[in-house]
Amino acid sequence: MDNSEKSFLKEFAPCFEKTSVKEYAWIFGLLAVIGLGIYAFLEQVLKGHIVTGMRDNVVWGIYIVNFIFFMGLSYAGALISGTLHLFRVEWRKPIIRIAELIALISLMIGPFYILLCIGRLDRAYYLMLYGRIQSPISWDEMAISTYIFGWIIFLYISLLGDLAKMRDFEELRIPKWRKKLYKFLAIGYEGSAYQRKRLEKTMDIMAVMVISIVIIVYSVLAWIFSVTLQPGWHSTIYGPYFVIAAVYSGSAVLIVAMWVFRKFYHLEHHITKNHFIAVGMIMLVFAALFGYFTFNDLLTKWYGSQKHDEVLIRILFKEFYWPFIFANFIGVFLPMIILGIKKLRSITNITLTAAFVIVAIWINRYLIIIPTLQSPYLPIQDPHTEWSIYSSTWVEWSLTAAGIAVFCLLFTLASKFVPIITVGDYRKEDTKENTLV
Amino acid sequence: MKRTVYGILSLVLTAVLFLSSGLKSQSGPADSKPRETYLTLTYLCTSNDSVCLTANLKVYKKNGSLALMNATIDFSSGQDENFIPVGSAPTDQEGNASVKIAVGKLQRGKDRMIAYKATFAGSPKYYKNSAEFRAEPAKILISFSSVDTLHYINLTGSRNDLHGHEIPLSKEIVNLHVPRLFSLIKLGAVMLDEEGKASFKFPGNIVGDSLGNLTIIAGIEDNVQFGSVQAVSRINWGMPNEYRKSDVFSPRQLWTPSAPLWMIITLIVMLSGVWAHYMYAVWELIMIRRSSKKDKPIL
Repeated sequence: MDNSEKSFLKEFAPCFEKTSVKEYAWIFGLLAVIGLGIYAFLEQVLKGHIVTGMRDNVVWGIYIVNFIFFMGLSYAGALISGTLHLFRVEWRKPIIRIAELIALISLMIGPFYILLCIGRLDRAYYLMLYGRIQSPISWDEMAISTYIFGWIIFLYISLLGDLAKMRDFEELRIPKWRKKLYKFLAIGYEGSAYQRKRLEKTMDIMAVMVISIVIIVYSVLAWIFSVTLQPGWHSTIYGPYFVIAAVYSGSAVLIVAMWVFRKFYHLEHHITKNHFIAVGMIMLVFAALFGYFTFNDLLTKWYGSQKHDEVLIRILFKEFYWPFIFANFIGVFLPMIILGIKKLRSITNITLTAAFVIVAIWINRYLIIIPTLQSPYLPIQDPHTEWSIYSSTWVEWSLTAAGIAVFCLLFTLASKFVPIITVGDYRKEDTKENTLV
Repeated sequence: MKRTVYGILSLVLTAVLFLSSGLKSQSGPADSKPRETYLTLTYLCTSNDSVCLTANLKVYKKNGSLALMNATIDFSSGQDENFIPVGSAPTDQEGNASVKIAVGKLQRGKDRMIAYKATFAGSPKYYKNSAEFRAEPAKILISFSSVDTLHYINLTGSRNDLHGHEIPLSKEIVNLHVPRLFSLIKLGAVMLDEEGKASFKFPGNIVGDSLGNLTIIAGIEDNVQFGSVQAVSRINWGMPNEYRKSDVFSPRQLWTPSAPLWMIITLIVMLSGVWAHYMYAVWELIMIRRSSKKDKPIL
C-alpha cells in the first residue's frame, strides 16, 4: 500500500471507526419509516389485498411501479459502472463505487415489491416448481436470478482490492470481527502483478457479461408488458425504451447520491463539478433518447387511431394530464436546458434536475401501468367505480416509503463498511482527473 | 440567475404536487358529519303473483360511488301515508337488499296501483333516506307449442281488476331474451292482442347447453303502469353445444404443454454462455486465492 492510498484511507477512517450522533439520528429516523412499512405489511398480510388500492380491474398498483423503478436503478447502476470500467473512463474512479452500490441496494429492494403484489405469498414457490418456459414471468425469474449472481461476482471482484487494503491498514481502529471479516473476504489478495492481471481480466469479462445481461434482463421485464395485447403495452419498442429509461433514472440517482456523499462526507476534492457535468451529460443524452422513444411510441398509437389506444391516450391527456406533462415534457426538457446551457451547469442545478428526473421517471412508470389497466378490452360487469379506478392507499405508500428508507439505510451502512470511493484504483495521478472531463 | 432557476424549479414542483390528482392517496372522510345517502328502489313482478323489490344504497365519493353493506332496509306497501311493513333485509356488498312478497293481500288504490316504499333509517355516519315506487301487478305466462319443425313461444298477459277478476293485458309489448355468458341476447319483441295473447316463432339457431336446454325470459320493461313484469321458463329447443378443443395447434398458446423448440434452445444457449462465464470468474478468484497461499503464480 503506497502513501497516497494510506492517506486516503486515513481520510475515510473516522467514517469506519465511529458513528456520530447525527448519523444515529438519521439511522433511527430511517428505522422508524421501515417500522411503519413493516406495520403496513402486516396489515396487508392479515387483512389481504383489500387494504391496497388493487382490485379485479386494476390488478397492479404502485408496488409494480416501485419494482420496475428499483430494478431499473439496479440495472442502470450496473450498466453505468460496467461500461465506465470497460472503456477505462478515467473520471469514473471517484464515483464508480456509488454506482455499484446503487445497483446492489436497488437489487435487494426491487424484488420485494413484486412479492407484495402476490395475493398468496405462501404459494410464491409454486413459480419455481410449476413455472413454464413459455411464460414471460418465468423468463423474468430466470433473468433476475442470473443477474443477481452475475452482479454479486462483479461487485465482489470490484471490491476485492479495497477489502485487501482495509485488511492491511493497521491503523484502522475497528472491532476484531470486522478485521477478520475483511481478511476472509480479501481471500489473500495482495495486489501482486499476477493477481492484478487475473483480476483485471476477470473484471473485464464480467463487465461485458453484466452489460449484456442488464440489457436482456430489463428487456425481459419490458416484455412482460409488451407481449400482452393490452392497449399501451403491446409495443415493439418497449425493450429498448425500458433500458433507456433505466439508465436515465439511474444516472439521476447517481448524481443525487454523489451530491449527498460529497456534502456529508466532505468529498469536495474527490467528487468535483466536472464529475457532476460528466454524469449529467449521460443524463442529458438519455433524456433525449427517452423523449424520442416516448414520442415515437405515442405518435404511432395516436396516428393509428385504434379504438383502445385512443381511449388510453384520452385518459393520459385528460385524467393524468399534469403527471403526463411532468413526466414526459418537463422531465425530458429540464436536463436539456440545465446541462445544455453552460451557465446553468452548477452542482446544485444538476442535482436538483436529477431529483426532478427521478420523480418524473417514477411517474412515467405509474403512467405505463395504471391508465392501461383502467382501460381494459372487456368492460367488467356492474363495475364499482372504486374497482375500476385505482386509488393507492396508506399501506402502499408506507411500503413505498419503507423501500426508500431501506435504500438510504443500506447506503449508509455500506459506506461504513467499504470506502465510498475506490481505493484500489486511487493513485496520485488521479488527482488530475479534473482535466479529463 | 441561480435564484431564478430555483424559483422556476420550486414553482414546477409545487404545481406538480398540487395538480397530480391521478396520484392522490385514498383518504377517509375528513369530518364526522353524516354523509348523504342515495337509495333506489327497483320493482319486478313475476309470474307467480309475487313482486321482487330491490333497494340499492350507496354514498358518492370524489372518485365514484361506494356501496353500503349491512345496512337494514325496511320495505313497506300501502296507499297515501298508510304504509304497512312487508319485510326488511340487510344490504349485501353491492349495497342491494331484496325482498319477495305476494301481491294478493296488498292494498290497492282506485287506479289498481300498489305503492311500495324502501326506507333506510340512517346511522350516526349516514343520513336516512327512502325511495318509492308505484305499479299495478300484472303477470305473463309462457307456454310452448310446435307445428311440424317450427317452434312457437306463446305468451299470455293478464292483470286483476279491483274485484280480483282476471282481465287480459292488451296492447303491451313483451320482449323475449335468452341469457348468455355476459348479458341477455334478445330474440325479439311481440305485442299482446286484445285477448292478451301473442305468439313468437322461435329461431332455430340459438345455442343452448350440451343438451340444448335454454332459458327463455319474457318481460315487459319499465312500463308506466306495470313497471317491470317478467316470466321465465326453460325448454330444450336450443342447438346442443359441443365443447371441443381447437383442432388448430398453435405453439404460441400459453396452455400448450411444452415450450417451442427454438425457445428452449435459445434459453439453454444463453444461460449456458452466461453461467460458463460466471464459473470462469469464480475459477479465477480461486486461482487468486491459491496464488496467495503458495506465494507463487499458478498458470
